[in-house]
Amino acid sequence: MKIQGYWLASGILGVTASSMRKVVGSGADAVVTKSIGLKPRKGHPGPVLTTSHGGLINAVGLTNPGIDAFKDEMDLLRNYNVPVILSIFGNTNQEITEVAAKAGNLNPAAIELNLSCPHAEIGQIAHNPDLTHKYVSSVKNEVGCQVFAKLTPNASDIVAVGKAAEEAGADAIVAINTLGGMRIDIHQMRPVLGYKVGGLSGPPIFPVAVRCVYDLSQALTVPIIGVGGISTWGDAIEMHLAGASAIQIGTALIEGLDVFARVKDGVKNYLREQGINKLSEIVGAAWRSS
Amino acid sequence: MNMEALMGNPHSVRVVEVIPETRTAKTISFRIDGSNLTILPGQFLMIWIPGVDEIPMSISLWKQPVVGVTVLPIGEATESLCSLKPNDWIGIRGPFGSSFTLDSQKSLVVGGGVGMAPLRPLVNTLLEKDTEVTVLIGSKTKHELLFFEEFLRNKKSNLKVLVSTDDGSEGFKGLATDAAKEILDKNDFDSVYTCGPELMMRGLYEMVKDRKILFQASLERFMKCGCGICGTCSLDPTGSLVCVDGPVYTGDRLSEISEFGRYHRNAMGLKKKFET
Repeated sequence: MKIQGYWLASGILGVTASSMRKVVGSGADAVVTKSIGLKPRKGHPGPVLTTSHGGLINAVGLTNPGIDAFKDEMDLLRNYNVPVILSIFGNTNQEITEVAAKAGNLNPAAIELNLSCPHAEIGQIAHNPDLTHKYVSSVKNEVGCQVFAKLTPNASDIVAVGKAAEEAGADAIVAINTLGGMRIDIHQMRPVLGYKVGGLSGPPIFPVAVRCVYDLSQALTVPIIGVGGISTWGDAIEMHLAGASAIQIGTALIEGLDVFARVKDGVKNYLREQGINKLSEIVGAAWRSS
Repeated sequence: MNMEALMGNPHSVRVVEVIPETRTAKTISFRIDGSNLTILPGQFLMIWIPGVDEIPMSISLWKQPVVGVTVLPIGEATESLCSLKPNDWIGIRGPFGSSFTLDSQKSLVVGGGVGMAPLRPLVNTLLEKDTEVTVLIGSKTKHELLFFEEFLRNKKSNLKVLVSTDDGSEGFKGLATDAAKEILDKNDFDSVYTCGPELMMRGLYEMVKDRKILFQASLERFMKCGCGICGTCSLDPTGSLVCVDGPVYTGDRLSEISEFGRYHRNAMGLKKKFET
């Protein structure tokens, strides 16, 4: 699939084919499913979601029905004729290989590797370039479709991890996953989330995402898919200028599904007003110009 | 983007009172301060029971600033909620979701088991509007009839209280749907409101769909976020979200929902059939 347009980010409304179809109907150019693992998984006890400083903090804990049961939803999604990126995770290299083999059989447009959920056991993979290399090459060996590696801003050197993913054959890099965070209730004097700590998403992480995309896109040759706190067309333009070829939107859907239409219209108007013919002309323009 | 408001203004409150309603069900009440808060019949709250879980609960009591939810202990979270004492902390978010519409002259309200919870504020609101209300309270046995005595004590002339129990220990012996059929055949209602086991609601829906009756049912699905973002409570095939588009659905909307009365998804998203 072409790395372009405005996609639904993983973890938002991505449990069923029905809800993903609705998102496509609202203007998303592609959808990324919720991360699917080998076995059904309940996830963490609630609360799994809270808010702080204008963002969301979640610790859902990779709740999913397992790759075998998810086949039903993938079969429906293929009928709807929309590009579907299947997000997968695995706790070990062997497990991710097994999930990838099953995922490949479901014929997604691409596979997104969740290497970086900050509130589950797999959170450590994308902190480490060697582990990342291992996981990405295992999956690449297993499937014929494109493979995207989703990275974490919690890594000490995200560029090193990105390079490892690229060397292992990743077809694109998705940056960023949520930023580690937590919320403490001042009356109860305890963490709000059932898992205690979680991942921050939404507007507060946008500048962090821009910086990661800016750094990654200069260091790598594969396309970057920008994600993290985008809620307006201005955010989208800024993310393209940092180096994102495509953009994913997640948390902003809490305000309504019309965010895709709003962002796409705004981007179109901006390009017209700037006299720019093709969006690709501004991808990475922020570092190309300086 | 006002994230606090979109998330239902999460905050902690202390339990004010724990009121036994039946041998098992209890109403937990607490205060929500804020003069501009409105709660409509049918809406729900996300309730955080510290150290246990966060679950959606229908609002069964609303006398500003006091709010209450009525709980049947059926799992870890509901058992913990029932064992709370006055002054204990809980976290709340909401209110969330759609509400029952109230433009009715003559209503039948059918509650099965703890499904009576969101119907109590509905009945009280309808009675204040001088709607003629027939309430049918259904349960397995007479000890589980929720709000039966409270409604019997209510001397409003526009209220009629009927009962059905599966074992015949009180009122009509049999399923609430069978009791409802007899009542529907003898009366001209313009609205039927229901909440309870989904097969009961599906039965009622089938019964009234060809009559000129506005049907409204409150659905239950596994929920995580309560605010339209996680997708856990999505209905097939429309992708309607019970937390924001529901929990109250009209018959017209339900006619588009293929899973209504057939299956639901569990905590992991696996489909589970409703058992008869």
